[in-house]
Amino acid sequence: MPHHLFKCSECIPERKKHAVIKGEGEDLTSCLPLGYLNTIPGTISERGCAFCGAKHVIGTPMKDVIHLCHGPVGCTYDTWQTKRYLSDNDNFQFKYTFATDMKEKDIVFGAEKLLRQSIMEAFEAFPEIKRMSIYQTCASALIGDDINAVVKDIMAEMPEVDIFVCNSPGFAGPSQSGGHHVINIAWVNQKVGTYEPEIKSDYVINYVGEYNIQGDQEVMLDYFQRMGIQVLSTFTGNGSYDDLRGMHRAHLNVLECARSAEYICNELRVRYGTPRMDIDGFGFKPLSESLLKVGYFFGLEEKAQKVIDEEVARWKPELDWYARRLKGVKVCLWPGGSKLWHWANVIHEEMGVEVVSVYTKFGHQGDMEKGIARCGEGALAIDDPNELEGIEAIKKLKPDVIFTGVRPGEVAKKMRVQYLNAHAYHNGPYKGFEGWVRFARDIYNAVYSPIHQLSGLDISKDEISADKGFMTRQMISDVKIDTEEAALSEERPYTGDYDCVTKLRGKEYPLLEKSPSAN
Amino acid sequence: MRSLPPNVIKEVNQFMTFKLKKKERNSIINPIFTCQPAGAQYASIGIDECIGIVHGGQGCVMFVRLLFAQHFKDNFLLASSSLHEDSAVMGGMHRVEQAVDVLLMRYPEVKVVPIISTCSTEIIGDDIDGVARKLNNGLLKEKYAEREVHLIPIHTPSFKGSMIYGYDTAVKDFITYFAELREPNGKINLITGWVNPGDVTALKHLLKEMDVDATVIFEIETFDSPLMPDGEAVSHGSTTIEDLKSTANAMGTIALNRYEGGQAARYLEKKFEVPAVIGPTPIGIRNTDTFLENVRRMTGKPIPQSLVRERGIAIDALTDLVHMFFADKKVAIYGNPDLVIGLAEFCLDLEMKPVLLMIGDENLEYLKDQRIKDLQEKVEDIDIIQNADFWVLENKIKNEEIELDLIMGHSKGRFISIDYDIPMLRVGFPVYDRAGYYRHPVMGYSGATWLAEEMANVLFTDMEYKKNKEWILNVW
Amino acid sequence: MEDIKEYRMEQLVDHIMKWSLWQFNSRAWDRENQNEGILTKTAQILCNEPVLLETPADKYYWAEAMVLARDFKINFPWLSEMEKHEIKQLIKSLKERIDYLTITGSLNEELTAQRY
Repeated sequence: MPHHLFKCSECIPERKKHAVIKGEGEDLTSCLPLGYLNTIPGTISERGCAFCGAKHVIGTPMKDVIHLCHGPVGCTYDTWQTKRYLSDNDNFQFKYTFATDMKEKDIVFGAEKLLRQSIMEAFEAFPEIKRMSIYQTCASALIGDDINAVVKDIMAEMPEVDIFVCNSPGFAGPSQSGGHHVINIAWVNQKVGTYEPEIKSDYVINYVGEYNIQGDQEVMLDYFQRMGIQVLSTFTGNGSYDDLRGMHRAHLNVLECARSAEYICNELRVRYGTPRMDIDGFGFKPLSESLLKVGYFFGLEEKAQKVIDEEVARWKPELDWYARRLKGVKVCLWPGGSKLWHWANVIHEEMGVEVVSVYTKFGHQGDMEKGIARCGEGALAIDDPNELEGIEAIKKLKPDVIFTGVRPGEVAKKMRVQYLNAHAYHNGPYKGFEGWVRFARDIYNAVYSPIHQLSGLDISKDEISADKGFMTRQMISDVKIDTEEAALSEERPYTGDYDCVTKLRGKEYPLLEKSPSAN
Repeated sequence: MRSLPPNVIKEVNQFMTFKLKKKERNSIINPIFTCQPAGAQYASIGIDECIGIVHGGQGCVMFVRLLFAQHFKDNFLLASSSLHEDSAVMGGMHRVEQAVDVLLMRYPEVKVVPIISTCSTEIIGDDIDGVARKLNNGLLKEKYAEREVHLIPIHTPSFKGSMIYGYDTAVKDFITYFAELREPNGKINLITGWVNPGDVTALKHLLKEMDVDATVIFEIETFDSPLMPDGEAVSHGSTTIEDLKSTANAMGTIALNRYEGGQAARYLEKKFEVPAVIGPTPIGIRNTDTFLENVRRMTGKPIPQSLVRERGIAIDALTDLVHMFFADKKVAIYGNPDLVIGLAEFCLDLEMKPVLLMIGDENLEYLKDQRIKDLQEKVEDIDIIQNADFWVLENKIKNEEIELDLIMGHSKGRFISIDYDIPMLRVGFPVYDRAGYYRHPVMGYSGATWLAEEMANVLFTDMEYKKNKEWILNVW
Repeated sequence: MEDIKEYRMEQLVDHIMKWSLWQFNSRAWDRENQNEGILTKTAQILCNEPVLLETPADKYYWAEAMVLARDFKINFPWLSEMEKHEIKQLIKSLKERIDYLTITGSLNEELTAQRY
């Protein structure tokens, strides 16, 4: 078993089973770290809490909902303006957050009365919003407030409102993942099937495990609608509460982030027979095959192929321009749970980079199976990484760029390793054909940054070439390519707009229609 | 937040005939402050060789580290006891013990380990003082006998007070723990409060010009750390254990922010007879003058000509701005209480009209604050609201109860500025939607200049964007 | 001869491991159903045999199988030279290998968890 024990973790030898190096000839039967176990206290782990997984990842992207936390103010403050899940209703859920603001007297005497007042105040402040999600926190869980009872009463008094209750306090699980599970099951138990959605097409899907980071969902929605498919609901990016109550009416659940949302897909399969189809929205080949698969399911494969052909024709020359220059660049894929496997293979195949490490902050062994299956030989796979292990890995592997979160990215920055934001992206969206080129462009701009080059010069002792006034990225990158061949090709750098998403809103989709006889 | 005994409350009420408005709702819509543990964590990162353990769910530390990273664009070290379901039910003390052990094993330089409680661990009744004692007598003696380790329990449940009170409590707890009576050190203690590295630079500069030696609590200039060719730099605080110990031996303490360090100053006065001067926050010319005067009185050192000149440069810059651009401009200010008060006072000196001041928490001490009383009584048409949230401000704007030319506050209020088209100067904590603001002071004469010039530039950009007499800038 | 067969089977395994996700659902019984459903249909498609498409599950397996078969045909031209019974044998040993890697030999401890 190719386990790897970091030097900095020799004193906590149980960490050995949480990292493996994929050796030659290793496969999943010999090469898989443990996963989703309790965190070792004091390690400075990258993990967050279950409340985050429930409210911040899955709950709050729902756009037409008042998101109310039942607890002291911190949980609310922390999950407000700290992620980029957009919506096409001017980002209501982004801008407004609500808290019951529990104080000491509420802890002592209970806060159900406060909860009731808070719900009323929130609805009063936003009379046009009739939907609410209430999130339990550590405090309200520990004092045993019966949120469900309060909500039941209010919904009886105010029949025009609908309220969802998510009981996922921060300690409910080793990491964010515990929260994903809770909210998935809570939603399917409480809300799915309680609303009859409008069916606009013969081909209906739910798009699940997609959170519209920088517009990802809107890009994919465009492709589906061009094929004539109705995306009944998205769980939950740019998603609407009532649409999501109608999830039971879809023919197919198309699942992106299995880590956070496979639970609801599995339940819908059990309860309504709706099949679950896992896809990758990243990368030309995986995305093409994903659209094709969905197409085949509905007999729309030709429509799918048309979309694919249009997009590939437009964007491949630009992807290739970057791929030519990114060949051999070493990257660490260090996201939260699923991008390690969404990206591990295709980023190597289509951009030529070498994935030297994958990790997962809160994923399960299943995510590692997918990640290790897809990454190349020699890659270091880490479960539940912590600060010192990350630093040791960077020093050992010497990557050129790391895809991770803001804060670990700053650690990398100081170590002179460039970083791109794997959670909220730099200049995203990264899904879709154009998005993949934007990703390649960000990687290129990071790796061949003249400032990055300059950062390694020690002016007190290194030689300073005083004859240069500037360097361009191309001057830096093109020394290692066959410039003649490049010049003869159709390749070109990115020609898209800064904002490639807003223009999709309000587009018309002629294929999106329901045949009169279909049910 | 101290709860005052009834006879004192009566006394207070007799003195204070003013009341401070509170927001009328019970719940929060768009909070101005976060909770206590964030404040304790902000104090902790100012100390060298210190890594705090936040005893609670992982979010309590992960989100705060993210908040710091948003503000400083850098990473700071804080650990979690990783409270999971079983420990929430059965008690999490063993998690703290394990966290201390693991932390000490893997970070051999760490000497100071604050144990910061959260709402969950306070509710389940985990005795962090008890566990510190147990560790001191047990693990630290057995396994870490050769090492200097200081465990400091800090109680910061989120259902009391706010990040401000958490910071104040932590400063007091650090000082209480470390301050040690020895020979007088000839220095003053400067307890800065919740400030930026730029402020510390400005304050140290002023003291240097006066030839005054100070122990700065906390030395956070090193939060602004470089990207070095060898890749070895990190952001960290520089206050040492020696610094903290020596606070007992100073000739005096100046706590710049009453609500962020006042408790510690009063403790030093009571326990070690170190005279305490609390406030005012040195924002603007007048309050900086007062600060320097306080330093002069405390140390006997004169205010030098160089500072007269520096003050003059600030006055010169301000004079070009005030009656031309700032007169009668209506301002709303929100954020930390001392910051809000200091900015309001400065705005008044600048001929502006602060019309709305919002403090994000509630505190009986505000009723004893002469500064707030003066603002409320001597300024026409000013609204001061405690326990405020952003919905208070947004409502007033929506309902046209208020007209504003400028908003001053931290980045969480940005959507009000963006959606209602009101220019906003980012100031306070956190500021994450502007580049490099933590490097700049709001204190001292350089801070006064920076504030005024940034206010002006923000107003100018807005004028041009709205084509509102933008031609006036041709000949200014 | 056996070597070539095994080598070719490993190529197909490798392709599935690198590009497919259907084999990684989170319970052992689920993986059994997926592997069975999709690979059976893949074999049928490669052999130009009729495929059962009654239930939504069937349609789903078929959609996955169509894309997989298409990929196999493009990337492994030697498939076109094989006889039907050879293809079936190949897919059978492929399924055995995938079952081993993802179910019986898997180190994923969650596969046997009772609840979903």
